[in-house]
Amino acid sequence: MSNFVIGYYAALIAASCLAAYYQNRKVFMLLFSLTLVSFVLGIIGGVPALRGVTIFAGLLALAAGTSYAFREFLIQISKPGIAKELRTAPLTASFGMFVIFTYAIAGIFAPWIAPYGESEVIAQTFAPPDENLLLGADQLGRDIFSRIIYGARNSVGLALVATLLAFIMGALGGLLAAVKGGWFDQLMGRVADVIMSVPSLIFALLMLSIFGTSLIVIVIVVAVIYSPRVFRLTRAVAGNIVVMDYIEAAKLRGEGDWYLIRKEILPNSTAPLVAEFGLEFCFVFLLIAGLSFLGLGIQPPTADWGSMVRENATLISFGDITPLIPAAAIALLTVAVNFVVDWMLFRSSGLKEQ
Amino acid sequence: MKKKFTDKDVLLKIRGLKIDGYSDETWIPIIKGVDLTLHRGEVMGLIGESGAGKSTIGAAAMGYARDGTRISEGSIEFDGMELTTASEGERRALRGSRIAYVAQSAAASFNPAHKIIDQHTEAPVHYRIQKRMEAQEDAMELYERLRLPNPQEIGFRYPHQVSGGQLQRAMTAMAMSCRPDLIIFDEPTTALDVTTQIEVLAAIRDIVDQFNTAAIYITHDLAVVAQMADTIKVLLKGEEVEEAPTKEMLDNPREDYTKSLWAVRSFKRDQKSRPTDGTQPVISVQNIDAAYTGGVKVLDDVSFDIYPGMTVAVVGESGSGKSTTARVITGLLPPTEGQVLFKGDPLPPRYQDRNRDQLRQAQMIYQMADTALNPKVQINEIIGRPAQFYSGLRGQALKQRVDELLDLIELEPARFYNRYPPELSGGQKQRIGIARALAAEPDFIICDEVTSALDQLVAEGILKLLDRLQRELGLAYMFITHDLATVRSIADEVVVMQHGKVVEQGPKDEMFKPPHHPYTDLLLSSVPEMDPDWLTTLLEERGGVDNIGDAADV
Repeated sequence: MSNFVIGYYAALIAASCLAAYYQNRKVFMLLFSLTLVSFVLGIIGGVPALRGVTIFAGLLALAAGTSYAFREFLIQISKPGIAKELRTAPLTASFGMFVIFTYAIAGIFAPWIAPYGESEVIAQTFAPPDENLLLGADQLGRDIFSRIIYGARNSVGLALVATLLAFIMGALGGLLAAVKGGWFDQLMGRVADVIMSVPSLIFALLMLSIFGTSLIVIVIVVAVIYSPRVFRLTRAVAGNIVVMDYIEAAKLRGEGDWYLIRKEILPNSTAPLVAEFGLEFCFVFLLIAGLSFLGLGIQPPTADWGSMVRENATLISFGDITPLIPAAAIALLTVAVNFVVDWMLFRSSGLKEQ
Repeated sequence: MKKKFTDKDVLLKIRGLKIDGYSDETWIPIIKGVDLTLHRGEVMGLIGESGAGKSTIGAAAMGYARDGTRISEGSIEFDGMELTTASEGERRALRGSRIAYVAQSAAASFNPAHKIIDQHTEAPVHYRIQKRMEAQEDAMELYERLRLPNPQEIGFRYPHQVSGGQLQRAMTAMAMSCRPDLIIFDEPTTALDVTTQIEVLAAIRDIVDQFNTAAIYITHDLAVVAQMADTIKVLLKGEEVEEAPTKEMLDNPREDYTKSLWAVRSFKRDQKSRPTDGTQPVISVQNIDAAYTGGVKVLDDVSFDIYPGMTVAVVGESGSGKSTTARVITGLLPPTEGQVLFKGDPLPPRYQDRNRDQLRQAQMIYQMADTALNPKVQINEIIGRPAQFYSGLRGQALKQRVDELLDLIELEPARFYNRYPPELSGGQKQRIGIARALAAEPDFIICDEVTSALDQLVAEGILKLLDRLQRELGLAYMFITHDLATVRSIADEVVVMQHGKVVEQGPKDEMFKPPHHPYTDLLLSSVPEMDPDWLTTLLEERGGVDNIGDAADV
């Protein structure tokens, strides 16, 4: 028995006892069942398995600590009203915010952070990682780390612009349909149905092969594909609001549609719309990454996570995990955004904790 | 009604009950130590204004604390069993079988996707008291006792297929399904018309008597509680004011607060008569027919005039076309026939075709202040917008006008200027609604059931305010209501509507004097009075219980 194993069990059992002493049922159950599981794990996997558990727990604790500190930081720097809201954020949400914040920094300051240029050839093809090349080089000898940093700017920026456009189109259409009703509502609804009836990836591939793969075309095509979802949500939310008496009062006052939308409906529908924005952003991001992987998205030599996965895919057969790093970057961002969105959905749904 | 209760029969004993509510991240006491003793077969009325904690105590009697509240202290003993320390499973076993609950809005409490009788039999079958078929037969018997029409068949309908009064009675039947020892009625008739209310009251009283069930009857209507309860307990802000047997409480209330509750219905102002100097009416509704798209006629040849500075009350039960008439006048629903004159000139039938000045002249105050004020807009903008929109006021002048309006509705400008509607109480919201109507400087205001969602004390304040504004600004009101007590206190003229037709109209004093149209008579006699024997006498007068149901369900 190594010192590590003895320490491992001693620490777990001591922590369980502490939790039990302070009557923290949940923590105790978690720690003690982990102890029991560790017995089996230790017998089957030996010391490395236990080390794995320790590292995993350590990473989790690190993430939790970072999230906690980041939430405190946000509470300190924001105004009292917002600070009060932030206090209700669970750790997952502040972890999500931290990740988004990191990506934003990486994207905005990419030229200063990245050690090499975006398409600068500086090494051998598939050079292994060393002190200068943190993650090695890709199939043309470009620094993968630098390209991931630049990719944050390109992939995330493009997805953000496309989502924004989809929202402007969808939300405006939905609000107008709810306010105007009648034939306009019908028309918009049928147009949305038609767009939604075509599978989104097929539709995107079709449009991109017809109109070419310039950035503007990508943004517009993706925005058109996703705007019907936004349209339907906005129309449903606004539909519940336009039947309110205060809308009737405003109409009887003689207010125009634009005033109704801007002053009466929008303030009451922001919460679900913001939550939807986060969700749609993930889908748009994944769609663009998928298109890039298929070669119809962002074109080389511009760095993009989706195409980076494809370019380095051959390395997988050699047991190298490098192509998974951009994929992991995509996954992490998606998870992070969803954490934040979950919290916002929870707030806007009006559920109260017991 | 006179019953004697001994200590042996105690069913529910609440001692020193304290309940906290969670708001703004702290626990605030909402019930501050209430005692309550209920005997078998006793009906106790809990009254008080909203926020007094009536419903919270009602829920606590089942050992239940609503979301965001907790029972912090005290004991609740139901038939020898302490509910505050009982496990959730034990408490749940009581609910439905030994303690039942009848909610205010039966329409919202029934599951619209299941037939009434299936929901009725759920509890007895769940508690293995009866088999499904037995339970159904029992349900039919209860429906018959509650005088529901067609008791064999009505249970097989869905909740939306029966009327509100019938649904409320079906809910009472459902509460009875396991023959509970205690039923909690939480404002069961508040949402109903006077005519419908009577049948529900009579049905509830009979069935509680027949099965010797104890009941807690929660309401803010004193006249109703006087009919139902053996004892009355008055609550104010989570504390008990006083408790006494009904007769004693009505005849000589001890506390000032109770006296003020009793005095509410006393507000009355002098009746005005039409001007004789040939002044034109502000609004003249002439032979209006109206129908919703593709539907049947909801208004049939409706005509009446409203003169400057006068209040015309439009009464009738729900579905009689009162609110539809208001929609025609405001232009939301163009009439199929007839026209609306404003000071002699016809108004365009659609509000979209009216110009700003025509829109300005007819303002509306709504029943539900919650939905009538945008929750995300500050008070100053709610009131300021019409002033800005019609009079083009800006900056300092606008602010001054808003302050002036807030003063007019007796709310302190500095305190309310920057607040949002959800932060205000019901009465304050209704005042903001009035201020918004006044900001347009209209000649004519439609008040659509403005007081029916409010407690009596608050409602009286609103009525007094409306009366003062009428005197100061010379406004004309069209007052839509089903509450005849309100009509008595503020109307000059009365228009009685039934099935989209005007049944009778005239000055108030004539309308309240016999002879009446039979429908007016029914409406008038259905208004509960403070006399505890009123319901009994009325039922005898109307002869045979069967007609009351028929009279209101026609």
